[in-house]
Amino acid sequence: MRRTLLLVAVILSALLLQTTIFADVLLLGAKPELMYLVTIAFAFLDGPTPGAIAGFAGGMAEDFLLDQPKGITALTLTLLGYAVGMLRQYVVSPSPVFPVFLVAGGTFAGVLFYGVVSFLLGQLDVSVLYLVRVAALSALYNAILTPLVFPILRRVIEGSRTSKVVRW
Amino acid sequence: MALPSRARSARLLVVTLVSVSLVTITIDYRQGDTGPLAAIGNTALTVISPLQEAVSKVTKPVGNFFSTLVRLPSIRNDNRELRARVDELESEIATSSHDSARLAELEALLGLRESLDDIPTTGALVIANGPSNFEWTITIDRGSSDGIALDMPVVAAAGLVGRVTRVTSASSVVQLIIDPDSFVAGRLDVSRTTGLVSGEGENDLRMSVVSAETEVVPGEQVVTAGYKIPGIAESVFPSGILIGSVSRVLSDEAELEKFITIRPAVDFSSLDAVLVVLSDGSG
Repeated sequence: MRRTLLLVAVILSALLLQTTIFADVLLLGAKPELMYLVTIAFAFLDGPTPGAIAGFAGGMAEDFLLDQPKGITALTLTLLGYAVGMLRQYVVSPSPVFPVFLVAGGTFAGVLFYGVVSFLLGQLDVSVLYLVRVAALSALYNAILTPLVFPILRRVIEGSRTSKVVRW
Repeated sequence: MALPSRARSARLLVVTLVSVSLVTITIDYRQGDTGPLAAIGNTALTVISPLQEAVSKVTKPVGNFFSTLVRLPSIRNDNRELRARVDELESEIATSSHDSARLAELEALLGLRESLDDIPTTGALVIANGPSNFEWTITIDRGSSDGIALDMPVVAAAGLVGRVTRVTSASSVVQLIIDPDSFVAGRLDVSRTTGLVSGEGENDLRMSVVSAETEVVPGEQVVTAGYKIPGIAESVFPSGILIGSVSRVLSDEAELEKFITIRPAVDFSSLDAVLVVLSDGSG
């Protein structure tokens, strides 16, 4: 219950920030993709299952604010959360910059996937170059935000765990 | 033994969530704006828009500060261009008073002024932007309880903003003319030729269906071309609202139409207040 409330609070905060303050602060015309960042953080810190759940819930919440068919963002973020969670199990890196690269790579791949699915459904009419540019800029923006957002999400997620985690 | 079982349950969960997403996409794709998912979407918008309004009030100054920092080089250029324009306009003031009087006379003759004055409007504040990088929308703090309905045109002091695409009781979503799904019938101010103005995201608008023979020069203004084909189609936008000015014209003799781009009159990155035209656009 506590974790569900936490997830709802994080998703709502990300949505509010994405549509207000970050809508005004654009990086070469692109916004950050905070929901992608949140999904990757959950997957990185908690594993594939929480990652997929966070991605699905966050994606569905964002979908209901869009004029496009609902479910495209949810599909994208579910797969992204699961993939990042699985990848995390096989990559052991003590480097503090690893999450930054993971967020950048994950966001880039996720936005491209979203663009391809939207295009196949006839919902997106932009050039490949434009899609790649937006994916790259969103990835860069999310990477810049990672050192600020990740520690907050880490503290929140780890604080909500009921049992102690044994690190090894 | 526990690990494979955990991995299996994770895979099962992902398959379930992906299936739910695919079913949601299919249902919403088939039912469009009339289905139950659209109703849930409107409920979500109703719930979140007061929160967006509150957050927007608090964070707007912070957002403006960072936005200004990011746009500092272009603001410097704008400042230089505006100073030059002020000098130019000051020299034109003497002659323009005569032109204004003549224009007023012509407007009165054609009844244009009267018809424009008759169009009721309501002011609205922008409380949020669309969350996606591929959808150019804004949310305003006026909804059906203020008389707003679907497809109503939205304008700003500088020109055309877009049209209402979703309405709840206290807020509405406006599709901006820069959205790639937006199409507006436009008219070149000098040649009076009409064409179709479509959004290109962060790039300038594109005007198509203008024949290659038409004389078009950069800087020429483009306004909305209201039209009405009885019983078949009617323009959403009233005629004569400024869309923008021609920024680029490419002529290719082999092509049947000109390639024209238009710089929007409205600066969508700093849009705070808009007017919603409370009519069907035919006025």
